[in-house]
Amino acid sequence: MKTWLLTLLLMGVAGNLLADHIPGDDPVSLVKDTTVHIFADVTENMDRFKANPEELQALVQRDLMPLLDINYAARLVLGRAGRGLPSEKIDEFAESMSTRLISRYSTGLLYFSSEVELQVLPQRGDLNEKLTRVRTRVKLPSGGEAPVDYAFHKTADGWKAFDVIVEGISYVTTYRNQIMPEVQANGIDSVIERLNSGQLKLAE
Amino acid sequence: MRRMSRLIVGITLSALLFACAGTQNRHTDPINDPWEGFNRKVYAFNDRLDKVVRPVSVGYDKIMPDPVQRGVGNFFRNLDSPVTIVNQLLQGKFKQSGVSLGRFLLNSTVGLLGFFDVASKAGIPYYNEDLGQTLAKWGYKDSRYLVLPILGPSTFRDGTGRLADSYYHPVGRAIHGREEWGYWIVRGIDQRARFLEQDSELEQAFDPYVLLRDVWLQNRQYELYDGDPPMADYDLYLEDYSEEQPDPEN
Repeated sequence: MKTWLLTLLLMGVAGNLLADHIPGDDPVSLVKDTTVHIFADVTENMDRFKANPEELQALVQRDLMPLLDINYAARLVLGRAGRGLPSEKIDEFAESMSTRLISRYSTGLLYFSSEVELQVLPQRGDLNEKLTRVRTRVKLPSGGEAPVDYAFHKTADGWKAFDVIVEGISYVTTYRNQIMPEVQANGIDSVIERLNSGQLKLAE
Repeated sequence: MRRMSRLIVGITLSALLFACAGTQNRHTDPINDPWEGFNRKVYAFNDRLDKVVRPVSVGYDKIMPDPVQRGVGNFFRNLDSPVTIVNQLLQGKFKQSGVSLGRFLLNSTVGLLGFFDVASKAGIPYYNEDLGQTLAKWGYKDSRYLVLPILGPSTFRDGTGRLADSYYHPVGRAIHGREEWGYWIVRGIDQRARFLEQDSELEQAFDPYVLLRDVWLQNRQYELYDGDPPMADYDLYLEDYSEEQPDPEN
């Protein structure tokens, strides 16, 4: 793609995100801030990141981690299979799972960030004291539109995301149905090992 | 499609009567899959069939330039419009059915038989409805999971709906015999090519059958709620985790 066109597109993306931005720590602002940040970083350093994907992964990790409650996600995924496990094991599992997800997300960014347009929809009805959903729409170059939602819950540290829902498909639910029986059958260590070795990839 | 759908759904349902649909649910969440034993057999059959279909789809994907492939996808999607329109009427979504009709007419003419999705460019929204969704709207909310041979994941409700929808699909109305089969085969190959990227996910899953089922059912739920399904019951997931009494299954 021609560089000027690319630049224009990206300015469009950033402009779109910044347009109705109100600073704050509500979930919608958090998603907007973080995506603007990451998208800007990626586009600025696209060539460098393409040559060195680990660097991008580290950057995404840095920007995204403060926003996530990976421990909560891990406990949801483990369900009854996590009962009685020492909390260090849960942490270790949470770490492996989130590293996997972030690595996939970063790879995706390299391919798509220059061509997609991201739209964060305004908060709707279901914001209650403890649970909410931030809706975004990813406009694909093919003309299609993929809805990507983020589930947030309120913690002592403010709102934290713990699930990503793409076209109605929840990562937590999908991971849970894969991992819970596996932990029950083969133990958590074997699952962590498999996650770390990069063997386990789950649905988009 | 008409004949094929009828055949496939017919065979499946009669096979179901004979197969004592085993309930080997190794699963713990309340997912409506009492026919899991049967479904896994059909899944294995489809998987073997895919050994033949996949290479063809890979070839197709390589040969077809992306814009052409996009056009073919648009063409197929446009031909489903009548099914959507009829079901919008059945669901009382009169305004939306008008929109879909307009979209169909525009794309079929200006969009050169649907190859170009000019309607989307003009900002006309795209809706997708079928009889399964209509039945759900009418109150048949929960239906058991059913894997159809060749066609893949479905539910009892949606499989039946598919059969009925095929009676007024424009392709079945316009062409017959070899041409109709040809249409559905090409469409199948095109459809398959769109999922090639997901293959490795499925291969590497702990349980590919469960992965496909969960993904399909969740996405279907999303369609049934017109893109706005309720969130998963996370509290229930957590209760499952923190409950202290001994697990009766262990």
